Amino acid sequence: MVTARNPIKDKVAFAGVATTGFRRDGGDVTEGALALRACIDAVCDAGLRAQDIDGICGSQPHPAYVQSALGIPEVTWFAQLDIPFAAQVMAAMNAVYSGSCDTVLAYHGVYRNAFNSRAAANDPFRRLSPALVAAMAGAAPMPESIAGAAGYASWASRYLHDHPKASRETFGYIALNSRANAAHNPGAAKREPMTMDDYLSARMVRWPLCLLDMDLPVDGADAFVITTAERARDLAPKPVLIHAATFGAVDRNEEDQMPSLDRSGQQIAVAALRAKSDIWLDDIDVYFPYDGFTTIAVNWLESTGWCDPGEATEFIRDNWDDAGGRMLINGSVPVNPHGGALSEGGTQGSGHVREAILQLRGEAGERQVPGATKALVTPGGFFFNAQGMVLRTDGA
Amino acid sequence: MSGALSDAELVARFEGAPVDHDNKHFYRGLLDRELRLNRCSDCGTWHQPPRAVCPACWSPAVAATAVSGRGVIHMVLFMYQGPPTPGVDYSVPHPVVTVELEEQEGLRYTSTVVDAPNDQIVVGAPVTLDWIERNGTPFPVFRLVED
Repeated sequence: MVTARNPIKDKVAFAGVATTGFRRDGGDVTEGALALRACIDAVCDAGLRAQDIDGICGSQPHPAYVQSALGIPEVTWFAQLDIPFAAQVMAAMNAVYSGSCDTVLAYHGVYRNAFNSRAAANDPFRRLSPALVAAMAGAAPMPESIAGAAGYASWASRYLHDHPKASRETFGYIALNSRANAAHNPGAAKREPMTMDDYLSARMVRWPLCLLDMDLPVDGADAFVITTAERARDLAPKPVLIHAATFGAVDRNEEDQMPSLDRSGQQIAVAALRAKSDIWLDDIDVYFPYDGFTTIAVNWLESTGWCDPGEATEFIRDNWDDAGGRMLINGSVPVNPHGGALSEGGTQGSGHVREAILQLRGEAGERQVPGATKALVTPGGFFFNAQGMVLRTDGA
Repeated sequence: MSGALSDAELVARFEGAPVDHDNKHFYRGLLDRELRLNRCSDCGTWHQPPRAVCPACWSPAVAATAVSGRGVIHMVLFMYQGPPTPGVDYSVPHPVVTVELEEQEGLRYTSTVVDAPNDQIVVGAPVTLDWIERNGTPFPVFRLVED
């Protein structure tokens, strides 16, 4: 069941945002250094100081590390949560609204190491013991498991089977869209042009998904200041209000047991968001479907209702802007204008949230959607981590 | 045969696998070349992976029960790279299939298909359970069958 209750609607806001930008090789830094750099810039962006922060919420490193490293004197709320990043946003939002704290510093850092990047092992400080790499890979070191990343390839095969009009090019369009958008984002890791031929000839990893269907391991961090809408209005940046936010999951949430692509966490997240939000697709200025794998974004286009199940291929073609080499829904709504996880870098949703905020603040540079006031962000995949968020500006 | 193994011997036999009190009967079944999935003794509902209670009625009376092994390929992927595994070299992309078993709609088990060209391993193809040896231990796989 989903509840339409949403007493927190528009009561909590993003008051600061910052990013380090994302690189395939961020150089001689630690994961902690990257997160701290983004955190400092986010607090400064809000015009605040260390003593104004009383809640900390992130992924890696632990909030206690961030508090200590930044000398944040007194904190009354911590949370360290699994990604994708709407988890951190929702926890912070609820903590602020309930009075656990007033102002949260939320962050997500990503870091290449020997687990996700062979090249990273060239930095001796990023080497990991073989035992640790095995532990990070999970407890099933055999090919016949679709837990984790492989699950997306399996369900992509089901999608292709169920929808004869779809083909690998359907997924390719998502990759092309992200890459074309990344060209306009100086913080994106991959900005060189990509063609459909490039996509179709890329190295296959897990058929039907190839190297260009997968997000990029990168170095970098995003950080955010989240506080009451009231307080945010007293600060310099334009507040971006959290209008509605939700998770979504179904009971059989293991990769190989999920009921179907038409009954996954995505449909639950969308149902909850639609029940809570006064704003829906007709009013959205910019859309952020999670694209950790191309197939996830294809399914978000369908589950959110931009098009019917199985119709994404035609929908993407009908809404393709040939001049820009990218999607422009109804000729005006860009999709992941920062380049998404596929080309900006694998941020597990923090990049999508950050770009939504910049767009609504009117600070997205050459990527700016003119007059954008409302954004839809749908982080996460199918199984146990689908999420959704509607963000808006004051008075929108 | 597996009944003669102590719990400690079972864990040693599947070194590195996540054997625990909820799935130990599944692993014992492998040694007997039986694919045993959890079924509720009260309401008859199957579930996978093995848990301590039935997700349909919350009964703790769940029992690892042999399945027929017949089913249909629900999803398939081909791995062009993957963890080093005896008998798998990835020079021919390694099929990984999720099979919907005939016992119950939505009850699925994931393994590989043996002795079939990759272009015949497709969604919708009927399969049946078979066994190979991997690391000296029986390992459940699927084989294509005629429609």
